[in-house]
Amino acid sequence: MTRLVYIARFFTAVPAVPPLTTSTFTVMTVIAIVVIVIDPSHAAGALTPILLLQLFGSASGFDVHARRGHYDLLLTRGISRRRIVLAHWAASALPGAISWLIVASVSEVAAAGREPSLFTAGSACALILVSTIPWAITTRLPRFSGAIGWLLILATVAVVATPPSAIRIHGSVNTWDSWVTAALAALVYPPLLVGSGLEGRDALVMLPGLTVSLLTLAFAVWSIDRRDIPLEAAQ
Amino acid sequence: MPVLVSVRNATARYGRREVFRDLSFDLRVAQSLGVLGPNGAGKTTLLRMLIGCISPVTGEIRIGGFRPRDAVVRSGIAYFAGGTTLPPSVRASAWGTLGNGEEVLPDRRRIRALSQGLKQLLGLRTALSRNPLQLIVLDEPWEGLDSESARWLNATLELKRDRGAAVIVSSHRVHDLAGFCDEYLFLLPHEATLLKAHEIARVGPVTPALLTDTFDRLREHARVLDSSETA
Repeated sequence: MTRLVYIARFFTAVPAVPPLTTSTFTVMTVIAIVVIVIDPSHAAGALTPILLLQLFGSASGFDVHARRGHYDLLLTRGISRRRIVLAHWAASALPGAISWLIVASVSEVAAAGREPSLFTAGSACALILVSTIPWAITTRLPRFSGAIGWLLILATVAVVATPPSAIRIHGSVNTWDSWVTAALAALVYPPLLVGSGLEGRDALVMLPGLTVSLLTLAFAVWSIDRRDIPLEAAQ
Repeated sequence: MPVLVSVRNATARYGRREVFRDLSFDLRVAQSLGVLGPNGAGKTTLLRMLIGCISPVTGEIRIGGFRPRDAVVRSGIAYFAGGTTLPPSVRASAWGTLGNGEEVLPDRRRIRALSQGLKQLLGLRTALSRNPLQLIVLDEPWEGLDSESARWLNATLELKRDRGAAVIVSSHRVHDLAGFCDEYLFLLPHEATLLKAHEIARVGPVTPALLTDTFDRLREHARVLDSSETA
């Protein structure tokens, strides 16, 4: 318990997400709340910018900071490396997760059951995707690399094929082909899942994305746990 | 006194570049070791190996019988590698509370705004404020410190050592380490030599002049070895 408290204290003093990104989350959350209060039917659209910003928030990069010695105090504090890495992921995802929670709660109150809830498996899945994959990709790279790479893929797919945002997921899983298309679209553009009450076969659309995010998270934790952290200046 | 740190035939390498080879030494509880060497000799790499951040390519390191990665989880180890390793955007006062919870430097400025000496002092005070400590590993700790802060550092290290902590400090300047350590490890290309204080100074403390003389002799020996290997 004491060690968990220390990790929390450390990442409060040394935030994984830069203050500017956290401020942007605050602004986006306020804007989303205003949009939802004016018209609750736009809740899913209001949440989309927060999910896109979460791509950048969670792509915080571990190695670059560790190799500069910023985490030395934490690494020698009697806490296992695996716990530190998982705490870094949690600290990277926290601002976006809080924004999501606030916006979804406001939407729930504002819509009063008249509009689809944002507290759905699809919305949670979208949040998990944008919180894990960019973090895992960026562990060895400079900050934001995973998010920039993701946006490049998104832009490329939108130019050479159908824009993922145009693909309908709800009620689309009738054939193998439609499942593959919908699953890939959800993986490339997670905001598609927001607000979708994915039930029955539709829920299978989330499966590849969740599998990829869990695998990348596990691999990143395993990989950081095993590798050396030399100081940049000493090599 | 029991052995706390045991290094056996440790070799460090970055890619194809070998930093040091077959390094062996022991350090006992409540003893201090000074690591001396020119820039690029592997001082920082060795110290990072001791805290489990780098694994030796060959050989093994044990701290209290455990691998360094396990030892940092079980024992109290303080490590600091200089002011440049502090995150620049963090406030000094916030960083200072990460040692034992108390503010070690009541300064609201961000670390990037501090002078080199203040950064060094902040990092040292934070790392050393933790209790109890079994092992203290400091990389060039006197760098940038004024005489008053240097005196504080020496007194703190001596106090911690008297309370049972083993101390390992590195420096490329002999006068920082002279008289302070029980043993001296000279890290040079192709050669690492461990000498006890009484082997350097038969009578009295190790003075900067004696340490410089020993260091120069070993450096010359290493140069001869290096040129004969090249030939």
